[in-house]
Amino acid sequence: MLTAHGAGDHMQLVHLYTQAADMREAAGEVDAACFFLTHAYVFALEQGAEEAVALNKRLADYGRAELIS
Amino acid sequence: MNKHEHLSSVLQSVNTANGLPNAHYIDPDVFEEEKAAVLFANWSGIGFGKDVPEVGDAMPVDFLGMPLLIVRNKQGEVAVFQNTCRHRGMILVDKPKKIGGVIRCPYHSWCYALNGDLHATPHVGGPGHNMHEDIYKSDLGLLRIRSYVWRDVIFVNVDGQALEFEEVHADLMARWAEFEVPVHHGGPESSFKLEVATNWKLAVENYCESYHLPWVHPGLNSYSRLEDHYNIEELGKYSGQGTLVYRQLKGEGGEMFPDFEGLSEKWDEGAEYITVYPNVLLGVQRDHAFAIVLEPKACEQTVEHIELYYAQSSEDTPELADLRVKNAEQWKVVFEEDIFVVEGMQKGRHGAYFDGGRFSPAMDGPTHNFHHWVATQLTNRE
Repeated sequence: MLTAHGAGDHMQLVHLYTQAADMREAAGEVDAACFFLTHAYVFALEQGAEEAVALNKRLADYGRAELIS
Repeated sequence: MNKHEHLSSVLQSVNTANGLPNAHYIDPDVFEEEKAAVLFANWSGIGFGKDVPEVGDAMPVDFLGMPLLIVRNKQGEVAVFQNTCRHRGMILVDKPKKIGGVIRCPYHSWCYALNGDLHATPHVGGPGHNMHEDIYKSDLGLLRIRSYVWRDVIFVNVDGQALEFEEVHADLMARWAEFEVPVHHGGPESSFKLEVATNWKLAVENYCESYHLPWVHPGLNSYSRLEDHYNIEELGKYSGQGTLVYRQLKGEGGEMFPDFEGLSEKWDEGAEYITVYPNVLLGVQRDHAFAIVLEPKACEQTVEHIELYYAQSSEDTPELADLRVKNAEQWKVVFEEDIFVVEGMQKGRHGAYFDGGRFSPAMDGPTHNFHHWVATQLTNRE
């Protein structure tokens, strides 16, 4: 993750933060999962990546973000 | 005593008026006053549409210390925002870049859409909580600066109080209505800038008048005599000069630039060079045009951003590439010939006994017109 940050590879960050969120979610750690989902969402949003839609919905389902239609 | 009593002599007719006093060129306090009353209160040029050609292109501009952000939005239109995050005041974009989705503040990652709407506020309600009941995104979009694009120049009215651009410049736009056709920038070789040790107004004043041409640009004498020029002056609006003997540039094989479509006979040998007050110098000719944005860097420091435009794009006329280079070189010579004049006038204004100077009633009308306009902007704010 630090390597991707250092390289400015924000698409890679979307994937890495999503993976981290998935792992925390599977472990039932909702707060930690939403922390990582937030980062994945922001980097996806920044690049106009289609992943942003699903990431936003996941956050919205937890009540952590407004659902962007 | 009235604060601007000293401007009363500027506001007389050209026959008896004096020019703006020295302080308007060398005093940092007056520079600050004019920044507010002249440059921020009117429609000033800050850049060119060609610098943000595609959707998502973003270019930061420091305009007299004011951080601005020019973007090409999803509708393909130019928009200008204050380049400052609504959260902690961080500069959002510090160098030209392509915005793929949103503008993300590099500090806490608040995100803004290309239309300025605040889109995301990560962790604003605590870690992983991206909302807070007291944070209304609809209230916290980027602050939009009024902008208008004319002849590819991006104009802004920073203080937001000016009349609409099309109202302020209606007469000039009507005068040049025939040139309301697409213009195509000539590419990198048609773009250059000059850093000049002068107050920005002296560059305007030199541009407005033809009086200096035979002395400063002697190369023009062979085909473009002083008597072939005329003054352009509309009190309170704009000023400049025109020529009746514009001669098209020809390449070695006799090739010439294609004309802008639909021009009347007036422009066969006519051309005009007008200042869009306060700081944009425009020129129109049958086969190419130019735009100069004067960037006031400091009281005695100005950058001239010069761009050349044609009736057809470089992509459509690759055979004219050499001619475009030749044309740019020719113009650069002319503009460089003016540097010693504007820098010399700047130095001369440190002469404590200079009284603003007297104008030639016959030749200096366009320059006086500009002085009169500047003085009016200042006195109107009392």
